[in-house]
Amino acid sequence: MTDSLKPISYAIIRGKIHHDNLVSFGGRGGDLEFYAPDPQTIIDELPIRSPSDMADMYELSLDDVIDYLEELGTHLDFRTNDYLREAAEYSYQTAPTTPPIIDGFYATLPLMFNRERILQWVDNSVGREYLEGWVEKRINGSDFNVRAYGSRALHIVAGNGPTLGALTVLRGAVTRSDTVIKVPSNDPFTTGAIVRTMVDVAPDHPITKHVSVAYWRGGDEAFEKKLYQPHNLEKIVAWGGFSSVKHVTKYIQPGLELISLDPKHSASFVGEGGLESEEQIIEVGKRIACDVGVGNQVGCANCRTVYVMGGESDEAIERLVKLGHAVYDGMLGLPEDMSTRPKRYDPELKSHVDACRLSDDFYEVIGGQQGEGAVIVSKTSDPVDFSAYLADRTVNLVPIDTLEDFLDAVDCSTQTVGVYPPQWVDEVRHKGALHGGQRFVELGYNLNGPGLIGPQDGIEPVRRMVKWIINEKPTAAMTPMWEFKPGETHLVA
Amino acid sequence: MSSNAPAQQAPAIGPELEREARAWMDDPFAHFGYSNTRLHSVPREEQEAVQLAALNLRLAERRQQIPVLAKLADAQGIDSVATINDAAPLLFEHTVYKSYPISLLARQRFDQLSKWLDKLTPYDITGVDVSGCKSIDDWLGTLRAETPLDPANSSGTSGTMSFFPKSKADYRLSAMCFRVQLPQPFGQMPTEGDLKDKMHVMTPLYRDGHMSTGAFGKYMCEIFAFGDESYLHTAFQTKISSDLMWLAGRLRAAQAKGDVSKVDVPETLLARKAELEAMQRDMPAQQQAFVKSMVQELRGQRVFAMGTTPMFYEVAKSGLAEGIKDVFTPDSVVMGGGGAKGMVLPDNVDDIIKEFFGVPQLRSSYGMTELNSFTVTCEHGHYHFLPWVTVFLLDRDTGAPLPRSGVQTGRASFFDMTHDGTWGGIVTGDRITIDWDTPCPCGRTTPAIQGKVQRFSEVEGGDDKITCAATPEAQADALDFLNALEL
Repeated sequence: MTDSLKPISYAIIRGKIHHDNLVSFGGRGGDLEFYAPDPQTIIDELPIRSPSDMADMYELSLDDVIDYLEELGTHLDFRTNDYLREAAEYSYQTAPTTPPIIDGFYATLPLMFNRERILQWVDNSVGREYLEGWVEKRINGSDFNVRAYGSRALHIVAGNGPTLGALTVLRGAVTRSDTVIKVPSNDPFTTGAIVRTMVDVAPDHPITKHVSVAYWRGGDEAFEKKLYQPHNLEKIVAWGGFSSVKHVTKYIQPGLELISLDPKHSASFVGEGGLESEEQIIEVGKRIACDVGVGNQVGCANCRTVYVMGGESDEAIERLVKLGHAVYDGMLGLPEDMSTRPKRYDPELKSHVDACRLSDDFYEVIGGQQGEGAVIVSKTSDPVDFSAYLADRTVNLVPIDTLEDFLDAVDCSTQTVGVYPPQWVDEVRHKGALHGGQRFVELGYNLNGPGLIGPQDGIEPVRRMVKWIINEKPTAAMTPMWEFKPGETHLVA
Repeated sequence: MSSNAPAQQAPAIGPELEREARAWMDDPFAHFGYSNTRLHSVPREEQEAVQLAALNLRLAERRQQIPVLAKLADAQGIDSVATINDAAPLLFEHTVYKSYPISLLARQRFDQLSKWLDKLTPYDITGVDVSGCKSIDDWLGTLRAETPLDPANSSGTSGTMSFFPKSKADYRLSAMCFRVQLPQPFGQMPTEGDLKDKMHVMTPLYRDGHMSTGAFGKYMCEIFAFGDESYLHTAFQTKISSDLMWLAGRLRAAQAKGDVSKVDVPETLLARKAELEAMQRDMPAQQQAFVKSMVQELRGQRVFAMGTTPMFYEVAKSGLAEGIKDVFTPDSVVMGGGGAKGMVLPDNVDDIIKEFFGVPQLRSSYGMTELNSFTVTCEHGHYHFLPWVTVFLLDRDTGAPLPRSGVQTGRASFFDMTHDGTWGGIVTGDRITIDWDTPCPCGRTTPAIQGKVQRFSEVEGGDDKITCAATPEAQADALDFLNALEL
């Protein structure tokens, strides 16, 4: 096991573990340098040879698939699984979050493979019966059947949390897909550790044989040009920002579909009636603190800006500052497996926050001197101009007069909108949806819902990962076309 | 950041040191006899002694005049500094100059913007009536006309425009940095002509404006040609409009948001969108044509030519092919720079430009609006700071000053004691390296930048890091992509 002396992002291809021909990656700007098999040496094995090789997945019932996943879940306790233990150790260096939070993520891995959770998720996305067989329908006097088939899919996963690799394995298995996972440089280890566990537990199982994991540098043209071809893949599911999707778009052509999980941000709304008493201010502060602080604000569901109705009077601003303190106290009071002092407070962001602190006619800054996170209270209805940089437990509270002022800030990249008090939800979700908002929750529940096995957001990736196949059957009442007489033809699209 | 007072007391400033510091602060070029050689021959210890004295003098004076400085110094508990590095917590983040709410511009609240800007300058500008101002150009023009300031705005491409209270004296000093450092060879005293000749200035930009690229035309003409307008050659015969720049920034911001129906600028400004589009469309061709025509018009003259390396290269390549070379007199200056912008430049691009124009060196400059004193490259290609510029290298993460010895790489930060309109202490987003101990082979005693100047954001970037949360980088890339499509 001398290999384990250096950080290796293993390539695991259809049940076979590759750790030869290692080349070095990463290491920029103080990042961890890690090793992975030279992508050129594995590229020929990555794509499935023939679509008919996917037939073995259809010899399994959905129950068989879930049995496998449930069994796998019992092996993913990172306190006892050496692969995961090692991946976690290395992830402390590559991940954007801190060890207690990473441990927290790892601790949830077995829960993700819980049978009941998987079944609920399947029923609420594709539907169990569509994955299990042909579902009979009748429209317009014709019978037809629909079934959801898996696809040959490449997943370019995000690395802001180690659960995303596990999620991809789950999605690939229940949809009976052939899954190739390209891991990111901010988490090149976790997914490999999960798949190595699969190889240990069931080396010849079809699900094990239909998952591959590898690292190559996103944008490696010689590699990607060869792999990203319709004869190798049908779908590419790409997380992340423009730079990661940009590499992919040039290969998209008929026969190769892109499912782009666009980067998002989240903003919340506190309407009239939300800050009526001291107690309510403290509670709203705690709610916002959770939406901002949990997971150290590295996710798209984390709140970054909160718009608060009540106007800009001195009295209103005073109340807003009080709320700011409640948010700050709430954030610092979160337990360390939920939130910690950020790994490294973005110096660029600090420069902006410090400038606000000096501009006290327009802003009040609470905290932020020790790299612990900060609350910036705007004294006018303007959010800070660097709102796109808000991270590392930094939130901006903005006073507004009406709901419409909030809607101006909602656009197609808005994922989650937290709303309070609850009587505002109906109006905010309707108007917010028109502006592009995708997920509406009660304030304080941004990260406390069905989770990623829920619908995720407006993209519904699982429904798009499958191929919807139609089989039509004539009914006895239909006249065959070859028996039509002139004038009887009614071809209706 | 903490509010610990420095343990040591500031060293007492004797009358002789104070006189020297005042001379450097007030009229530095006169003090050094406008000699490039003298400027860059002050021993390092002497430079730093004067710099430390000037830091304390300026701090005492400016904290009474600049409220934001007073607030920062109070928060840090700093009244005086014992060493140069003690002053690092007193440098302003460059973001301070755009820390106003963005809606003040959209709502044209120039009275409130004046009030905000007033807190960043020693000059009282609150007495100037700006209530009638209808545009940014109008507002900045009024301040230029009625105060010693000539505030500079940034391009606003990030969506927010910064306003830097530069004074007219600051601009003149900036222009003088070029006039003195570029034409005079190091090691030789200035000739009569170096000091008194009118020199032609050619710039592929504007004659005037409130963006510093525009205003420089005006001040270069003063300093290089003693105000003779016929010696100022610009690609565009107009004043660049700050309002149009603002419009461009807000259009980009609206595009990025996916709602172009909401561009938060006044109607009157939105009506100028076609003018902006024509300007953006025609600019590159006009600049290229300008450089070509100048080569004819200024042949055999002593010229200070500013432009980008690719721009000069295009003209030089075709000129040499036609057998034209040595276009300007050998004591002229050609200053290039700028990225290749998708062009592939040959390795010997400098030689091609030098041969065509007939100058000994292709020069370049490092500087910014927020720093009066521009640096230029020496014979060895290093940017040397002027002796009155205190350079700080700050740790990227902690902001703590790095030691002033050995080879250090950090965030470039400066205190320029000559600043008249502002506090003159600034933290930039640039990453530079300085070798404090090894003198430059060119013979200058002033500190110099080793290697390339880079933005921290370029150097780090997300090397294949993928996340689901929107980041500014992702957005900026998206904008670049949109722009590429528009071409």
